[in-house]
Formats: sequence, structure tokens, C-alpha cells
Amino acid sequence: MEVKVRPLDCWDDFKKYRKKYYENYLEAKDKGGIRWAGSAWAFDPVPHGLGEDVYSLTGEPYGATCAFFQDFSRECLENIERQGVARDLCGYMRNYWGSIVLDKYLLADGTLVEPFPKPDFNFTIHICCSHAKWYHFAAELEGGIPTYAVDISVGPGYMLDDKKIEYVVRQLKDAIPWMEKITGREYNDELLIKAVYAEADAMSTWAKICKLNQAKPAPLEEKSMFSLYVLNLINRGDPEVAKLYYKLYDEVESRVKRGIGALTYEQFRFLTDNPPPWAFLKVYRYLEKEYAAVSLGAIYTFGLGGGWIGMDEKGEKWIWEPAPTPEEAGVEITNRDEALRWTAEYNLRYRASWQHEYSHWIRKQETYQMVKDWKADAMIMHLNRGCELWNMSTLEVRDYLVKNHVPTATYEGNMADPRDFDEARTFNVIDSFMQSLGIEKIS
Amino acid sequence: MGKDVERLPQIKQFREWFEKRHEYAKEWKKKNGGKVIGYYCTYCPEEIFYAAGVLPVRILGSHEPESITRPYLHDMYCPFCHDTLAQGLQGRYDYLDGVMLAQSCLHMRQAYFSFADRVPNIEWSYYMPFPHGVNNPYAVEYTKAEFEKFKASVEEWTGTTITNKELDEAIEVYNKNRELMMKVFELRKAENPPITGLHAMEMVVSSQMVDKREHNEVLESFLEDLKDVEPNRETGTRLMLIGSEDDDRSFLEMIEHGINYPATFVYEENCTGARYFWDLVRPEEDRLMALAKRYVYRVPCPAKDWAVGRLFRRRFDHIEEIIKDYNVQGAIIAQMKFCDPHELDIPSLRKLFEQYNVKHLTLELDITQPIGQFRTRVEAFLEAMGEEDLFF
Amino acid sequence: MTVAGIDVGSKFTKVVILNDSKEILGYSNIRTGIDHHKTVEEAIKEALKKADLTRDDINKYVATGFGKISVPFADSEITQVVAAGKGAYFVWPTARTVIEVGAEESRAVKVGEDGNIKDFALADKCAAGAGSFVDAMVRYLEVPLEEFGRISLEAKESVPMNAQCVIFAESEVVSLLHANYPKPEISRAIHDAIADRVASIARRVGIEDDVLLIGGLANDIGFIDSMKRELGTEVYVPDKIAPELVPALGAAIAEL
Repeated sequence: MEVKVRPLDCWDDFKKYRKKYYENYLEAKDKGGIRWAGSAWAFDPVPHGLGEDVYSLTGEPYGATCAFFQDFSRECLENIERQGVARDLCGYMRNYWGSIVLDKYLLADGTLVEPFPKPDFNFTIHICCSHAKWYHFAAELEGGIPTYAVDISVGPGYMLDDKKIEYVVRQLKDAIPWMEKITGREYNDELLIKAVYAEADAMSTWAKICKLNQAKPAPLEEKSMFSLYVLNLINRGDPEVAKLYYKLYDEVESRVKRGIGALTYEQFRFLTDNPPPWAFLKVYRYLEKEYAAVSLGAIYTFGLGGGWIGMDEKGEKWIWEPAPTPEEAGVEITNRDEALRWTAEYNLRYRASWQHEYSHWIRKQETYQMVKDWKADAMIMHLNRGCELWNMSTLEVRDYLVKNHVPTATYEGNMADPRDFDEARTFNVIDSFMQSLGIEKIS
Repeated sequence: MGKDVERLPQIKQFREWFEKRHEYAKEWKKKNGGKVIGYYCTYCPEEIFYAAGVLPVRILGSHEPESITRPYLHDMYCPFCHDTLAQGLQGRYDYLDGVMLAQSCLHMRQAYFSFADRVPNIEWSYYMPFPHGVNNPYAVEYTKAEFEKFKASVEEWTGTTITNKELDEAIEVYNKNRELMMKVFELRKAENPPITGLHAMEMVVSSQMVDKREHNEVLESFLEDLKDVEPNRETGTRLMLIGSEDDDRSFLEMIEHGINYPATFVYEENCTGARYFWDLVRPEEDRLMALAKRYVYRVPCPAKDWAVGRLFRRRFDHIEEIIKDYNVQGAIIAQMKFCDPHELDIPSLRKLFEQYNVKHLTLELDITQPIGQFRTRVEAFLEAMGEEDLFF
Repeated sequence: MTVAGIDVGSKFTKVVILNDSKEILGYSNIRTGIDHHKTVEEAIKEALKKADLTRDDINKYVATGFGKISVPFADSEITQVVAAGKGAYFVWPTARTVIEVGAEESRAVKVGEDGNIKDFALADKCAAGAGSFVDAMVRYLEVPLEEFGRISLEAKESVPMNAQCVIFAESEVVSLLHANYPKPEISRAIHDAIADRVASIARRVGIEDDVLLIGGLANDIGFIDSMKRELGTEVYVPDKIAPELVPALGAAIAEL
């Protein structure tokens, strides 16, 4: 029997958007536009207020694209390591720095162009040990780019209070005159408000789409989801992104109604953990082809760009329900202060991947509840040496899952450094795991 | 006839406190009947604990190989978090009533979570989201708000009330400790410093293990006796140590005593050195605000040192001053294996050292050190520095 | 039915032949040459000789280790994890934590009361917990492999190996020799270092009695002693069959 993956109708739309995004950054200066670089978690709506021709390059997706095109990645990594940069640092970051040093820019389809486009400013956040310092060092490599990082490490969403939100809002408020000074532009609050609405829309809608994957058979498989969620990591302040997600939602919902799965045959459902090894996504296809096993998603895939309710008030259980948009929450945003407050609070409270850094318990609940809600048979965890933030708590979570009778396997790898991945060993882990569960190969 | 620093009773006392830290804490508990809290990171506002009658002790490792942490904490995280968690899991901290972390790096955070979850005698734990943005203008007010919550929690746990009186007493004791240690460090500016880096480390780390009132008494007599000390070893190359928790005696001993080329550490820019105690609490009406300012504005850990608008690192500014004030000739960058915050600074830090013609050597630390390999590298480093002088 | 389990390892190839009643009819253990197919043929030949059987008598071949790549005629293949678990449960039904140290890799398998595999952990990216490390160390100490384990038991004290990494450990051994540490002490230090790494992997599945050691290094009494001290519990080695044959046995069991 041959297990096939059903293609999505709106796949090309997503691909086109992403391609255009990287081209826009490259061509930004042709018509006098603004370029800014920062983390995919940077407060994207804020620079939108500088005009309709503001183009960003978010670091992590760019780093992931580099990793996917292995040869370029190796070149980046080797070059930056020659400058004395340690090998165990975040792979995305090293790919990005390597690009700067090589003065080469990678487009979505793998085309390389020169030079590496210089941003007008860097605007980012700080959550893991690398984030703000990533762009600090990048700015030094580029000869000194104005750089502003917002500290958001105020604790988990369910413990938010006014002082915490205020701390973040004040930093955002200061960023605006700073951006005005650098770009010479006058800030437009209307554009900010529009972007803030769009952000919540896009993130909550992605969550709704992920929730549809609880159906049996699952309408989506994770490898495709990687190319779908990423729009929230490159330009969620653009209302076009939310529109694309509405379209996707309709298509996926239609599959659920008609009982159509992403795989032509589904015999095993599993979840994963951590960003995947980008250079070795064949692992997903192997599981699909050999075992008709569908990967339903992960905290990473759901939570990186999705807005979810998160931990309950007492901090005991995790609730995988989409977060409310301003409309759904009955909130009207009419000015700059309200916009900044909304985006700060929405992200701090509902961004699922900003929660689990604050205790093992949160990550355990997040994971275990996901296994239950998405009706997964097992968990296959990527122990990702490339990201200290994502690999936090994973062994404690593994222990918790096993003790709660969720079959769990782990394989080591690196999301962005292809040299750190052992293909043979990984397939051995997968086969050993499936065999130990009594799941036979389809082929 | 000058005194031999090795024979000073204070040096012996620091060493004893350093080596017998657990015994000290257990004795203290018996004598005082109070609680002992273990803290992980030096951003912990110890004064608030002290004001509540709690003894804060720093959780450090023992530099012995271990396997007990490996099911819970992945190998890619630093040796310090494995070492400290191992102490907890092995029962060495069975006397602690609680643990606390003022957040800094991710690695330590995980070790703290597992420690709090798994060490059975821990009855109270507190995670404080101390800001990372210590270079931005709003961090202080936010920190103060966190300190308020923290103080309330400590009061509830201990059943005490912390008034300004207790806070003032605590701040006085802590400030005195800082001042006295700064005075000791001042003496190392001399051409022939009276103490070595090993002495300094034991002095600072012992302060992290005991009631600072007792430590202050020893420090005062130490400063007196140091006036009469005649150095009985060649200072050699004046070295600065850059790092985090550098409490591995064998490592310091090897560099200062185990090589054919003389060398002495004149300053430790790490948290078992100057970074722990540099910067006093400046008094003001709002005591918590005063504390918040001290902890936010102190020389930052690399984990918190990054750009907000302007490209600068506050820690680098401090290092520049020290190079000049202490006449630093060489720097040993003792980086804990896998430590991101330091790794992110090191390429730029090397450039800074080169600017000041300070030679530098980077060594990667593990739970235990390959002393043989390190000796070879340090010897070559010092030898090369000496050769340059020959041809000046 | 007569089944042959074939375990092709990077250093040694093992064959175990079982009958319907799961009795061991014959076995072999020979060095894996560059030509795996040739090695496999030789190993089968030797096992058949011991069993007094011919190829025609074998109904099924099950491969593990390198698997079907090295044994293209195998009827089925099972992973090393499953082979270790099944083999261990058969020779020691009360084994719950099975630790196998091979030439290139270590693995730990948690076996349930029913003999099913409940959990497993493989060595990740580290050579310090594998047999090939022993080979290197034995060269430096200049003792025969058979003596290496025994002399460690003569050590009067534990000398810690400070280097965490195999690469550094080799030169540290040289330093210890130059510092005139006696060979028993150095041997013990090496065994303790290996046990430390192996225990790290085993702890992931949880240490539960009985702990059973299989694979080549289970023949090393020094290693067994180090593991006992490291884990703080009794550690057993199969008595019915040589420990390195257990996975091949497990492969054959899988088919019966």
C-alpha cells in the first residue's frame, strides 16, 4: 500500500506570499521603503506605523530557510565560526550572522543574491539568552545599526499584572519616537491599530486551524503545517495574512466535515516537540510512508505563532482553546496607548510559546493536554541541541509523559546545524520505537 | 618580618567556610532555629531574606563527575546546572527549607525548577521574573514591584513582618560586607598584591555561604593583618579572570601555583568574584526602591547586558575601567561549556582586550577540568607574553 | 521450527540458533570483517557446526545490528533495542533494566513484567560509554584486555578522571601514568568513567531491579563493579549464555 499526502488547494498562495516577503525586503530601498530586522517574536505591528512601505526580515525563519538549504548553511556556519563564534550557539542566529559576513542573502526558493540587505534598524525582543544579543552582535558586524530590544520576560501569562504589562508597554512606547528619529518618518497610529487587529486575527485563526487537527483522520500533517504557520512569523501585522488563514480554515474545515485526512491512510497519530531538524524533514515523510503515521503538530507548531488561552488562573491545567481577538473580547482599540496595551497583553498572555519558560509544570501540562485533546497515540520528541529555549524542560516532560503512560521516543538533532544530525541513528530510534509498540511497516 | 598570607587565620577561616559550607548551615540552623534558603543567582535580593531572619546560601557545585541529573536535564546545558542539581539530588542540601531564583539564564532556570520539584526537603520555592532589560529605564520600577510581591511572600512563609528597621539592618550588614571586600580588592592594585585569586575566590564564596555579620568580623581583622603581609611569591603576569562561577580550586591553583611562569589574578570579573559584591545599596526613603536600584544597576551578568537604542554593554565599560585601574596584562576567559550569554559576548570582548593590548586566552570549563591540557595552554599563553617583553 | 538470530555489530558478528522449545542448539561469535556478507556466512557456518546442523535445517533467519543490509537473505529484521529486550527477558525474566554496552554504542531498555519494551534510551553523540573506548585505553595501559577488568579490582583508592570527554581522557591516562599512579588505580578510574557515561543513559529509563548487563563489556568484571558502585544497586550478568550473544538470541526469540 502506498500512503500519499493530499495537497492543499491554498498551498500555492502561502508559498507565493512567503516568496514575495523575502523579495520585498530585498527591493525595499528601490522605492524608498523602510527595512527593519528582528526576531519573529518582535512586536511586528509597531514598525507598521511608520508607513505602508515597511518591510521586515525576521531572523528565525530566515535562519530556518538557510538550514533547509544545507550547503549555504554550512558555509555560513563555518565562516562565522572562524570569527570565534561558539558552535553551540543558536543555529538560526549563526546562519544569520554568517549571511552578513558572507554578504549573501538567501531567497525562499534557494536563490542567493549579493549583497546582504542592510536594515535601517533592528527591533527585537528578549526572552531566551540569545535574543537581544543576537541583534546586538549583528549590528556590530554590520558596522553599527541602531538596535532596540524589548524585554518581555515578565513571567507566564496567567500571572500577569498591571505592573508587568506596563513595563513592556513603556518600552514599546519609547520605541516609537526612536524609530521616528532614525527613519525621519512621522508615525501613523491608524496603521498601528490596523496591524494590531490583524495580528490578533492571524494568530487566533491559526489556533482555530490547529484545533481542527483534533479530528480523525487529521486533515493536516505537520510537515505542511511548517510552511503554513510561518506567515505569522514573518508579517502577522499585514491583514493579508489573516485573510490567507481564513481561506485555509475553510479548506481544512471542509476536510473535517467530509472525513478527509491529510494522509490517504492513517494508522498512527503522534505529536512532536521542538522545532524540527530543518535539513532532515524526510523523517516526517518516512513515518508517513513506512508507518502511515501522521504528525499532528507540536507546542512549537501550534504555539510559535498561535494565540491560545493557556494556563488556567490557578496555574494547574493548560487550556488549548484559541485566544479571543479584540472583537471577540469586546474590546475596541482607538488610539496608540490602547493598541500598545492590547498587543503587549495579547502576546504576553496568549502566545503559547512564551509560557513554558517559567516552570517545568507548565510545559508538562501543555504537552500532556495536547496529547489528550489531539488524541495522539504517542510523542516523538526532537531533542534539539540548536535551541536552548525550546529544549528546556524536555527531559522532565519526557519523564512525565512516560509516567502517565504516553509512549515517548526521543532523537537528538539540531534544528539549524545540519552537521549535528545523525540520520542513521534517528531512523533507528523511530524503527525501535514503532517496533516496541507493535506497529508494523506498511510497505 | 612580614606575615605570610597563607598562615593568616582569616584565610584559614574563609577556606573552612568554603569547604564545610553544609556543616556551617546545619550548625546555624541548630543555633538560631531559623530557616535556610538556597539561591541560585546573585540577582537574588538577599537583604529581604536576611531581614526576615532567613540565612541565604548560594547553591554551588562540588566539581565531581555525576550521572544522576542526566534523565532530567539534557547534556547540552551547562556543567554548572548539572553540578548544582546533582548536589540537590544527592541529598547534600537536605537542610534547605527553600530555594529561590531571580531569573537570569535559561540553563540555571531548568536546574532550579528540577531542584525545587525533586529535592524532598524543599517546602518553599520562589521564582522571581527579574528583568533582563537592566539597561532600559523602566526596569527599576518593575523590579521594585516584584520585590514588593516577594517581600510579602517571604513574610507569609516565615510568619514575620519585615519593616524598614529590619531592612535597614540587613542593608547595613550587606553593604558593609561589600565595602570591606572592595577594600580588599583595592589592595590588589598594588605592584605586588598581598593575596592571590584563589584567596579572593575563597573570601567571596565563603561570604555567600555564611551569615555576613560573622564574615564582616573576619574581613575587618583580615584588612588589619593584610597591612603586615609581605608577598612571598612572584606576582608575575597580572591576570584578570572573566567568567561566571569559577570556584574550582584546582583550576585557580594550577594557574597561580602550578606553572613555571609566574602569574597572579588581580581581579575576578565573575559572580564568585567582584560581580557579586561590587556596587552598594544607596539609601533612600523607599527601601525596596533602593534595593531595586542596586540590583538593576550593578555590573550586569552577560545574560542581561544588551542594547536598548544605543550599542553598548555596561559590563564592558566596567571591564575597561578595571584594565586601567588594576594594570591588567592578560585575561583568562573561563567560559562555562555551553554558556550562551558569555559566548555571545566573547568575540566582542576579545576585540576590546585587543584594543587595550591585553592578551587573552579562552578556556572551556566543565564540571571537572582537564588540568593537564589547561596547563599546556596557559603555559604557552604566559610564555608568549613573556617573549614579547623580551623584544620590546 | 529452527531459527537463527544474527547480530551484525561493528566489531563482532554473533549467531544463535534456537529450536521450537527455545533451546540453544549452537552459537558463534567472530570478528566482523570489511565484507559483512562474508562474515555472516562464516558466523552461520560456525554456529551450524556447533549445532551439528546444515543450512537446510534453518527455517528462518532474523537479523539485528546492521540488519538486512548485512543479511540480505534475512526473513525479518528487528532493531537492537527490541533484540536486547527480548533476549534479556528470556535469559533473565526478572530483568527490568537492561543495559547493553556494545563496541560503538550503549543502550538501555526498560522491560515490563510481560516482557514488553516499555521505554528505551540510546547513547547520544558520546563515545565515552562504549567498548571502543576500552580498546583505546587498554593500549595505553599496555595490559591484555582480559586483565584490564581484573586489575581494577585491585585498586586501593578511586582516582577521579577529570576529563569528561574521551579525547581528553586518553591524554589524561598518559598523565596519570607519568605521575606514577599504579595501573590498578588507573584501570579503576577508566572503568568508573565509562560507568558514569553508561549510567547517564540508563538513568533515563529509570533504574529498576533487576539490572542486567549484556553486550561485550559485561564480561569485564571491573566494569560490573564500577556499575554497581555508580548505580548503588546489584548488577547482574546472564549465566545461561555469554552476555554478548543476548541480542542475537533475542532476534531468534522474536520469531518463535
